[in-house]
Amino acid sequence: MKAKHVGIIVKKEFRGLLNERTILLAILLQLFIALFSSFLMVGLTSMYDPSSLSTYSRFRYNIAYTGNDSGLNDYLIRSRDFRVYSMNLSPAVAALQERKLAAVIYVPDITPDAKDPVKITLYTLQNDLQGTIVNVKLKDIFLKYEKDLRYVRKARITEEPIPLTLPASGSGGDFYEFVYGLLIPLLVFMPAIIASALVIDLITEEYQHETLETLISTPVTFSEMVWGKVLACELLIPVQAGAWLLLLILNGISIANVPLIFLQVIAASFLPIAIGAIFALHYRERTAAQFIFSTTLVVAIMFVLALPANPLNLVTRLAVGTAGAEQWLVLAGVIAIGLLLSVILNRYAERTGREHHTG
Amino acid sequence: MGALTNIATIARWEVKRTLTQMSRDTLPLAVVLFVLLVIVMGFAAQSGMHLQDGMYRAGVDDPMIAQLLASDNRFAVYELDRDTLWNNYRAFDLIVVRGQVYAIDSEKGKAAVKTLSRDYAKYTASVYNQQEDLFAAYPLWIDIQNVKSELDFSATQSGQYLSARPASGAPVPEGEVAEIPTPSPTLEFTMEELRSGLTQTEAGSSQISRYTEMLSPASGSGMGTFKTPSQLSPPLPFDSIILIFVFIFPLYFSSQFFMMSIMNERIERKGELLLSAPVTTTSIIVGKMLPYLIMMLAISAALTVYLKAPLTIILPLVPVILFFLASALVIGMVSRSFKELSFISIFFSTVATSYLFFPSIFANVHVISMISPLTLIILTLQGTAYTVTDYLFSTALFWLTAAVLFYFAARNFNEERLFSEHALVTRIREFMAASISEKHPFLSLFLLAGLAIPFVFMLQLMCLVLFFNLPMPLSLVLLIIFGAGIEELAKAAGIYTLYMQNPQFLSWKNLVIACGATAIGFLVGEKLLLFVTLAQISESVFGSILFLSLGVLWMPLLLHFGATVVFTITLKAGRVRWRIAGLLFATLVHCLYNLYFIMGWLK
Repeated sequence: MKAKHVGIIVKKEFRGLLNERTILLAILLQLFIALFSSFLMVGLTSMYDPSSLSTYSRFRYNIAYTGNDSGLNDYLIRSRDFRVYSMNLSPAVAALQERKLAAVIYVPDITPDAKDPVKITLYTLQNDLQGTIVNVKLKDIFLKYEKDLRYVRKARITEEPIPLTLPASGSGGDFYEFVYGLLIPLLVFMPAIIASALVIDLITEEYQHETLETLISTPVTFSEMVWGKVLACELLIPVQAGAWLLLLILNGISIANVPLIFLQVIAASFLPIAIGAIFALHYRERTAAQFIFSTTLVVAIMFVLALPANPLNLVTRLAVGTAGAEQWLVLAGVIAIGLLLSVILNRYAERTGREHHTG
Repeated sequence: MGALTNIATIARWEVKRTLTQMSRDTLPLAVVLFVLLVIVMGFAAQSGMHLQDGMYRAGVDDPMIAQLLASDNRFAVYELDRDTLWNNYRAFDLIVVRGQVYAIDSEKGKAAVKTLSRDYAKYTASVYNQQEDLFAAYPLWIDIQNVKSELDFSATQSGQYLSARPASGAPVPEGEVAEIPTPSPTLEFTMEELRSGLTQTEAGSSQISRYTEMLSPASGSGMGTFKTPSQLSPPLPFDSIILIFVFIFPLYFSSQFFMMSIMNERIERKGELLLSAPVTTTSIIVGKMLPYLIMMLAISAALTVYLKAPLTIILPLVPVILFFLASALVIGMVSRSFKELSFISIFFSTVATSYLFFPSIFANVHVISMISPLTLIILTLQGTAYTVTDYLFSTALFWLTAAVLFYFAARNFNEERLFSEHALVTRIREFMAASISEKHPFLSLFLLAGLAIPFVFMLQLMCLVLFFNLPMPLSLVLLIIFGAGIEELAKAAGIYTLYMQNPQFLSWKNLVIACGATAIGFLVGEKLLLFVTLAQISESVFGSILFLSLGVLWMPLLLHFGATVVFTITLKAGRVRWRIAGLLFATLVHCLYNLYFIMGWLK
């Protein structure tokens, strides 16, 4: 295999990407996703951790307190999140339906030290962003009241949990796990998925457009051609992953160990690309190759995520600066699998190449 | 009858060819992979997701607390003596000394504390669940009653908070007050029923199950609407992201096969045979599409049955399926190579998914959510039936755009177009050129401008969704610019096509007539569609920018005409090189108009 020939193929593929403006589409796509990032951030974080929504509003909500007086009322009145109105239940619920109130609370007549629990009825708006925020704020107050009631009934509790005093939870830290534990690993590995789909396109295209004969009649051998395409796709990885990291850093998200992250991403991304190339050589037809490949990818990603210290996890740990020596072990493992796949791919390509040259 | 037989024959061919073309081991391998998927899912459920392992370093002086922390993979726990911890506290994100938690003062430290406090709450719950007197450990129970409310678009146009301060005293409902029965003071469950409920929720509160729970029908903890305060996690209004993956992903996947089948016809002119057969192009397209349509409907129906949902949720999916198929058809027809196909389809799917997904987050909150058919599905799953008006409102654009795309595809499904090797933009222009009649160019421009309306609306609504989250003046300004830009692009497309075919055509007289025809076509289409569907949104501030008000007609006509003339003159004077500049000029004129008349900013 000659490096020069592989280089020629790499250049050819890049020229093709530039000529067809597909690169432009890829950049557009990236920008589009970046544009959505604020929405993504709020939307997905709230799915991931709904209680983070509460820090988003600095607003006093109107709520109605109905039923009997209790210690809860004092907490509500003292809270800076609510404006409490004493009302009757029916008009209060009607006002809630008209969104003049954010929630309605009904408290029955039960003493704090009663044998039975205190059952509070909470009327909220169904499946609603504002309802979500109000519930989070109410939860804190309910918890305080629960603590009081629990203290009153203390004598009846036989075993207490190990005490642990947590510092007052201020704002902040909500997006941390989402950004570092989900967004960063997913974004830096997204190029791998695009690149492996691309390598299938590049290889099957030669078959289906019947341009293979022309290519083989040049001094470039079949396996050099395959490797050229694989390399072209692999080269896209650092470029795209780098663009994501840069976008994140520009957004004020500090990322530690960027070079080490690159190392992990480049090594791990080679695996799907090699698998894609093998499938493409096997099927020589895009529909089947893409179908089987994407199904395999789903299985593989689920499997990898279920393993401890997988490359995605390592990217997270590297980005937050808690990765230890195990990263090198995993990297070595990934490279070993990569080498194995390379050998398979190379043999496959050479065998296919011989078929073409003889037949 | 003849057409139907032809369609059936082509559909049969399509299935047979797809099956034979995929090499023999594809289907068995797919089955194997599916089995593997089930196994891996089982394994993943057992082992959990290891994405965030070891994010935080925690130093602990007490073995019991160390054990508590170690139960959460996110913590890498180091058990050390007190002095070592104090001396090296910088090496940790948080340390626990004598039961007191100290965290470094950073986002990471705060996040670590939040994670720990959630873990600790879970742990205390597990201790309290074992208490003999459960009502001493859990003295407070909340019964959550959900109340439904819908608000019209105009009330929250600025994204303002809903319950504003009433003028004085408690708010008084304006509408009818229904009698609400006084809730009973007792819980309707025995202590042991509640205990088993608590243990169950404790076991199932892992991260993954929280999302999967939404899918499994009737997953209750046996406690009904009763909750302890710590269980009071807010209702998730984001079921829709799951729905996207469950309903939309298979549809997108299947439409890929159709896209590929169209592309395959074009590769090395393999489809020539079919084109030379004595059947109409419509029959060919419908016949080729039919198997995929049936497959997608079958998948949707199967999912619906699995979710035990009412079958009416398929109705809003039909236009979405048709839209996906129509887009797949066009993408398959315009891409020159596989990689172009891949990139365009990835791009398309991202945009389409955003359009479908983002509005549906606001289901129940805001009428804007209705622009996505998925909202109807969410509503149906929640047990609310949608009305015919709702259906028309959210699916009309999908029906219309699908129809227009099919029309363009059918007009261009011929040898010349299918086997040309031109670049993407050129090809799209060629597609449009096919629908411009040489005898009646102005009538064609009129129709073209009218047909562009559903796409313009779709893009503009997309922008509306996109900018909805931004603070108020910024969202309006961006909306004005993008809204105007999209409209000008749509209007310019027809004239540009005509110009590229024959630059001599644009004499001064023709220029005026062409711009007039485009402006009238655009206005008529806009008004028609607005009238049918979008009255609700068009009444709001956002609406008045996007879709000029229904009232006065001559002003918007003049605007459309004027802006188009600006573009056309720039094109005529500056040639092709100036086309982008012309578009920008026209957009500028449009923006100024909007600012002046609607916002009154320049007065």
